[in-house]
Amino acid sequence: MKGQHTRGVLRRRDVIKGAGAVAAGVAVTGFPAIAQNTSLKIGILTPKGGIAATAGENGLRGCQWAVERLNKAGGIAGRKVELVVEEETNAQQTIERFNKLVLQDKVDMVQGVVSTGVALALGPVVEDSKKLTIMWDGTTQDGVTEKLPDARYCFKSTDNECEAVMASLLAIKHFKGKFKTIAGINPDYSYGRNNWAAFKAILKRYGIEYEVVAEQWPKVGNMEVTSFVAALKAAKPDLIFSSLLFADLPVFMQQAHAAELTKSSLMVFPAAGWQHTSLKKAFTPENMLFGHNTLYFGHPNPTPLQKEFVDWYVGTHKDYPHWEADRAYFAMESYKTAVEAAHKAKGGWPSQDDVIDTLKSGIKVQSLGGPGWFRKDNIAEQTFIQGLTTHKNAYDFCTLSTFDTMTSDVLQKPAGADFWKWIETAKFPV
Amino acid sequence: MPAPSTTEAARRNRNLCAIGGGVLLVAVLALLPGVASPYTLTMILPVFAYAIALLGLNLLFGTSGLLSFGHALFLAIGAYAAAVMTGHWGVKSLELVLLGGIAAAVVVAIPVGFLSVRYTRIFFGMLTLSFGMLFHSFLIKFYNVTGGDTGMSVKRVRLLGLDLSHLSRVEFQTGPLYYYALVLVIAATLLMWRIVQSPFGLHLRAQRDNARKAEYLGVRVHAFRLAAFVLSAAYGAVAGVLLAVRSGNADPELAYWTHSGELVFMTVLGGFASFVGPLVGAFAFIFLRDWLMGMTEFWRLAMGGILVLVVIFVPRGLAGLAADATTRLRNQFDLRSRR
Amino acid sequence: MAAFAEIVLGGLFHAAVLFLVAAGLQLVFGVQKIVNLACGAFYALGAYVGASAAKWAIGVGLPTPLVLVVVLLAGLACAVIGPPLERVLRTVYDRDESFQLLLTFAFLLMFQDLFRIGWGANPQTTGSLFLSFGTLDLGLFKTPAYNVFVIAVAITVAAGLGWFLQRTNFGRLLRATAENRAMAEAVGVNARAMFSVVFTLGVALGTVGGALVVPASAASLDMAAELVVEAFAVVVIGGLGSISGALAGAVIVGLVRAAAIVFYAEAELLAIYAIVIAVLILRPAGLFGKEAV
Repeated sequence: MKGQHTRGVLRRRDVIKGAGAVAAGVAVTGFPAIAQNTSLKIGILTPKGGIAATAGENGLRGCQWAVERLNKAGGIAGRKVELVVEEETNAQQTIERFNKLVLQDKVDMVQGVVSTGVALALGPVVEDSKKLTIMWDGTTQDGVTEKLPDARYCFKSTDNECEAVMASLLAIKHFKGKFKTIAGINPDYSYGRNNWAAFKAILKRYGIEYEVVAEQWPKVGNMEVTSFVAALKAAKPDLIFSSLLFADLPVFMQQAHAAELTKSSLMVFPAAGWQHTSLKKAFTPENMLFGHNTLYFGHPNPTPLQKEFVDWYVGTHKDYPHWEADRAYFAMESYKTAVEAAHKAKGGWPSQDDVIDTLKSGIKVQSLGGPGWFRKDNIAEQTFIQGLTTHKNAYDFCTLSTFDTMTSDVLQKPAGADFWKWIETAKFPV
Repeated sequence: MPAPSTTEAARRNRNLCAIGGGVLLVAVLALLPGVASPYTLTMILPVFAYAIALLGLNLLFGTSGLLSFGHALFLAIGAYAAAVMTGHWGVKSLELVLLGGIAAAVVVAIPVGFLSVRYTRIFFGMLTLSFGMLFHSFLIKFYNVTGGDTGMSVKRVRLLGLDLSHLSRVEFQTGPLYYYALVLVIAATLLMWRIVQSPFGLHLRAQRDNARKAEYLGVRVHAFRLAAFVLSAAYGAVAGVLLAVRSGNADPELAYWTHSGELVFMTVLGGFASFVGPLVGAFAFIFLRDWLMGMTEFWRLAMGGILVLVVIFVPRGLAGLAADATTRLRNQFDLRSRR
Repeated sequence: MAAFAEIVLGGLFHAAVLFLVAAGLQLVFGVQKIVNLACGAFYALGAYVGASAAKWAIGVGLPTPLVLVVVLLAGLACAVIGPPLERVLRTVYDRDESFQLLLTFAFLLMFQDLFRIGWGANPQTTGSLFLSFGTLDLGLFKTPAYNVFVIAVAITVAAGLGWFLQRTNFGRLLRATAENRAMAEAVGVNARAMFSVVFTLGVALGTVGGALVVPASAASLDMAAELVVEAFAVVVIGGLGSISGALAGAVIVGLVRAAAIVFYAEAELLAIYAIVIAVLILRPAGLFGKEAV
């Protein structure tokens, strides 16, 4: 893998082929030999530059690990997988790269896409191209409104607000009665905006009186946070809700700690799991509500799959994975499971429509972070883990002392529902 | 009857060559959908769009000597006009959207240009860059109006009143929209050729070479620069509409300053001193980047390196290189025929 | 009152960062008349190298003050890229300034990928180095000592540059060259060598700035392009080529931004560009600039 990784760095097109012998049981099914012998080409769209590069890198590693494993085990229904990796940049260019994968490389399907901005633009293109696409983390939401409710070919990640809904519920569970004034510092894009709005809506739903004393929208990836910290401190909030998630998060936390903001305010950070290893004990408080989400590596009883992956990741990359690796693994594993189920049902290589129908039927997959599946409207259901931070561990960063595990079927609006109405009436587990 | 002077004959000769070359190029582009792969065709659409934008940009840069580092502003205005018109107002006709985009760009360009054209050189560049970034931060910050970083979606349009919604996106883009854009490029090129060759174009060149002298000679320098600025903005908006219609969305990245930098990159790559340079530059840039992105994940490094080489060794761009080559060929031919 | 002072201090910290980026830009423009779009990349380079140096120094167990010395020296060492880059720029000195601008734009593009090759996609931080400097009790409130240190260094750099340009022999020659290159050469100034030194000094201001600020911040892939725009705003407001202008511009941008964050978050960036445009229209040479157009 090390060698392959290096090659991946040097050349854009990562062609991964397993080391084992080719599974050659061709004539058995009586299916055209060509379909069985040729490898499956899967296009990957992942960010490599700019602020989202770190998420893209994590996802690509998860994806490559999945492919390496399944190729060793004989591929997907007997066909080896070959990846064609293209870069996700802005919406305009990513559509070009998608076109290239579909029209020129003639891939069998596409996975990837981290940014919702890109996914929102790409979604209609996917539907129009009639090419099965499973997104890692992209949704086709404009705000909290689903823009592609009748998607057939485009499979999407969980709604952006899931983490915020869970964090809000847990904030009520852990911090109820301890706060009255709240402040938000959220990245200035739809994800940050929606998370903050969802938090306030859930407080209202539970009849918790609050007063907003500061609302801040730093630009995504903005490193200059001292002014924000000072303004927050002046506002004296009992509780700070923040969905910062990029490199700006550890910078913020460090400055907030130095300004003693972390002492005076409760902290609710649903997306902190993106930066889990950068949030050092030295400046990250205990008992902060921390959205670790799916790849909680300090899990007391991890699944063998999770343990194997995390051990490999740490051994190879000297770092701990976060949830993008899980999203990518889930995308690949869902495709594999659906193809193989459809293959078995049909007794031959399934058509794309067969695979899509199988995915839509809600076939369950064990992913790195827990079980997951797709709903009928092509939106993923996944496992979320959030809890309170602790310093009691062997690392130099925080892990969770107590945590809750929820699947998104209780955290996201049902197909076709209006988010705000749903919040008012939904049955929540807390 | 005196014989036409040799220079006049040469000029006529050259014009004939240009017309011949242009007709040939158009013929090739018109026949391309029959032979080229769908992917190549989808990549030619942005070439057309950028070609139009660069024709406009070069009226400022090449003809008037004003380097704008914020021209992406007008592409973004065109794109967002398309989003608002097709998304909010239910406008279906691309002709109307183009007119709307041009109108929006002109409305913005008049005050922006009025303030900017009083300066030249680096001050002009910085002022235009600031206006571009002002619009970019408006797009990012006023989330409720503009959709923030996600931008706004652009609906499928009708061409000349024809409802083509039965076509798939790729069919639409490689067929009707391709030819529509080709006709736009031809029209924009011919119009710009007229503009550059007109007395107006002459005035612009005169003020570029010596603003003070031109003023003494009665050129209303600021008025002419403003007119050029507004024209170039309109060209930018047409390009922005085409890009947005193609991708189905308008996003703030279109207005970011590095996009303006790319526009200048394309112009210099093609050759700003030449009329056809921008067209060559758009083509070369899009396909160069596409090729590099397929080759290496470090395509930014490669593009930067190429830009360094172009600036240092081929300052007149690919068009200049081609011109040198033809001159050399012709000289050789002349020498040989004289022998 | 304490809150107000803290907000002002937050703004000043930001101003210090901006000044360090903008100072190099100003110096180079002042003498060579090149607007250096790569200034943000130099700052980012200093930040990346500084973060790595900090990791190494902490790893070998150096005491905190020495770690800082290592970080700053690492930032200074990055200035070695100055002379070769200047050599490349030299090829277009006699051409239109748009070529010089484009060349520095190319540097910026290339650096983005060089950072990725060198450090990968993950942002680089210095762990808890920032906090090991403790907090400073200013009576009304406590504040991170390192932030105050950064502000102090920025002021020192400003004063040092002022002294260097006004009082030293080399500074005088430098200003003379900026004023009138032909005349300076006529009296025996080696403009070529001068340009190389000035450009390298400009690079060093950026890289040392980046290394200085990285403990309080982080090094990330997109910081270069982002910083360029803010540094531009600073120099336009202050006046191209003027060091005191950079200082004034940085303070204005830092404080306006801090105020916007408190009062009207939507205006955070708009306010800065609005000031830029206002200054360009009312006083195109900037607050401290000398000549218009």
